[in-house]
Amino acid sequence: MEPVDGGTPTGPLGRPDRPPDQQILSAAVAFARSLRSFGMAASVDAELVFIRTLPELDLRDRRQVYWAAHATFVHSPDERPVFDSIFERFWEGRELQLEARASEHGESDPRMIGPAHGGEALPQFRQDGKETKKAAMDGAPAKATRDLNTAEGDDGAANNDQRGILAAYSPAEQEAKKEKLEYADDELAAVRRLGEEIKRAAPRRRSRRMRPNPRGDRLDIRRTVRNCLATDGEALRLAYTAPRERPRRLLFLCDVSGSMERYSRVLLGSLKAIVGANTKAEAFVFATKLTRLTKALDGRDLDRALEVARGAVSDWSGGTRIGSSFAEFNHTYGRRGFARGAIVMVVSDGWDRGDPAVLSAEVRRLQLQAWRLVWINPRPMLVDQQPLAIGMRAAMPYIDDFVPGHDPRAVAGLAPLVGGLGTQRPRRKLVGGEELKVRPLPMHGNEALPKDRPLPANQWPSAANY
Amino acid sequence: MPGFDSIDTLRTGLTRERYLVDEGLATVVFLALRLKKPLLVEGEPGVGKTELAKTLASALGAPLIRLQCYEGIDVHHALYDWDYPRQLLQLRAGGSAPLYSEEFLVRRPLLEALAQPGAVLLIDELDRADDEFEAFLLEFLSDFQVTIPEVGVMRAEEPPTVIITSNRTRDLHEALKRRCLYHWIDHPGLKREVAIAQARLPHVSERLAGQVCAFVQDLRWLDLYRSPGVGETLDWAEAFHVLGRDSIDSATAERTLGTLLKERDDLERVRQQGLDARIQQAEDLAGKLRDHGGADGAR
Repeated sequence: MEPVDGGTPTGPLGRPDRPPDQQILSAAVAFARSLRSFGMAASVDAELVFIRTLPELDLRDRRQVYWAAHATFVHSPDERPVFDSIFERFWEGRELQLEARASEHGESDPRMIGPAHGGEALPQFRQDGKETKKAAMDGAPAKATRDLNTAEGDDGAANNDQRGILAAYSPAEQEAKKEKLEYADDELAAVRRLGEEIKRAAPRRRSRRMRPNPRGDRLDIRRTVRNCLATDGEALRLAYTAPRERPRRLLFLCDVSGSMERYSRVLLGSLKAIVGANTKAEAFVFATKLTRLTKALDGRDLDRALEVARGAVSDWSGGTRIGSSFAEFNHTYGRRGFARGAIVMVVSDGWDRGDPAVLSAEVRRLQLQAWRLVWINPRPMLVDQQPLAIGMRAAMPYIDDFVPGHDPRAVAGLAPLVGGLGTQRPRRKLVGGEELKVRPLPMHGNEALPKDRPLPANQWPSAANY
Repeated sequence: MPGFDSIDTLRTGLTRERYLVDEGLATVVFLALRLKKPLLVEGEPGVGKTELAKTLASALGAPLIRLQCYEGIDVHHALYDWDYPRQLLQLRAGGSAPLYSEEFLVRRPLLEALAQPGAVLLIDELDRADDEFEAFLLEFLSDFQVTIPEVGVMRAEEPPTVIITSNRTRDLHEALKRRCLYHWIDHPGLKREVAIAQARLPHVSERLAGQVCAFVQDLRWLDLYRSPGVGETLDWAEAFHVLGRDSIDSATAERTLGTLLKERDDLERVRQQGLDARIQQAEDLAGKLRDHGGADGAR
């Protein structure tokens, strides 16, 4: 084994002479620091471990040092590209603190490029995303991102033309676009209530863990033996256990595309409530691509969380590709078991610009993994009339429960809906069930609402609805 | 403890046990042994995560202790339990030995690993266990000691070599990752996979091994729902061998495709695209590989 102070390596510092230990140390520290500045979680612990590895290695061998650093600092394959580029600089002895950090982030942002994004009708949104991103990077207050449509102001009309039928489909929708993404106090209170309600209502599943339960049906030998101590080995008092119950995972896949715009705001608030209240909830949003929101929504501050969420959704209110978004989910998350045993709730109007065959294949796949697949459609009356709702029809055979909502208040009915799902697995036929069960959305006090007249777009489920 | 004094000897040692490691994995395993840190290995199913621990144990001549994780695993499955029947008998017989002493202790894998000096402890598929178990493991991994309330603190004289595997069905805690060295095992490249197939299945002809690997490598580009791992490649090659073939033909491939692909959609897709073209392509590729010095294929 090569001791630190042996040999005449050029070393990671790129110096001709053997650098003194102090220099190796500070290089390692600088390396860790620059990893941190790129958002990798390079803890001091990891730094120390990395330093401990160095005496074990041949410091002249780039690959050895690379793999040692990789093993200590990288914690998931996603971090690899960032790590590789920083390591490159480190090894070359180049400047580690980067000048053009903002632009590099912007360019490497997978949302900005690639054929899967947006499609031809959406160039302006890509542009938007980039600008917001940069502004945020520059440390400017990200105020602009609060409006639902950032750059809609000056050339709004042109954008609408480009987006065509999806966005400009009714005057009410146009109205809704001006909505701010801010929540009033009573709305926040309603969000919290909703979260609590859903938490209480969420169906439970049996855990494999046992807990003492006098009415349980399995003998707890451990405690029984303990009880025997008091009775000279006579098992007089038997102790029992029963499986513990855990909340079942709720997984939300929410459509935030143009046609869903007026629901998006309310939806996000509800997602925040649900993720915040139920530790087993996962939230994803999609339009043309899929974004995981769980981590962003899991904080305390709703406003901040929404900010992050909005940043993550670069194609906010663009077109919809439900099929390919689901494909992405199935591939990256479904395979990792996110949907297994979960109640999967899709909130979407089923307006899909993609291939209906892809959509139905992916929905089927999703259903196979889910414990129950619920589709909440805020605009169900359009399913039969609109040619664009073809996606909805493609998905129908593979949905366990179809829930028609009629207005943004639909979300307020989520808790009773989740509670009403029961503990039974839905009965399914091997090849798509024809007998789809349409569930009426349970809503307290709202039954008398006229279903054909849409409510004001910014109507929040207020406390009165509970 | 018989260790390895350099990365190269480690590599040779593992190769002797018919497990081929690339230099990244070799470096990381070497460091894990040297720094006495647990090694967390992640990767697609079938890339040989579990096999790594088994091979390492036999290369080190150390006992392998395996803890398979599952949902609901708890201290009594993982660490220790009491021998209840004996305790009860002792009580009834009015014996004087204390009931909660080492005499009645049943060692589960984690405790066993502390007791056996130099053991290799494999904690398999940790992502299947729940958060509570992970938190418990954290304590175990940082000090290699556990407290059994009735007995006291049990400590390892020599900490075991710990290899943790995960399929990433969920994210493990950062705290746990921080205590470990991390490595992601990728699917091997063609040359390497051929070398693995030949090392693992010495009875299979070189031609067949090359063709099977080339075929599988090509499949991995397809973006299937469930890409075949090395394990499946080996199974498939073995299947041909058992059926008495020494090269791929489309009739046999058709019948044995289930060894390789385990999703109905994937099977249909590959069948629809036609096996013949793929087989032809694999043959060409394997041929090229042979011509360009397949001998040093391990690289």
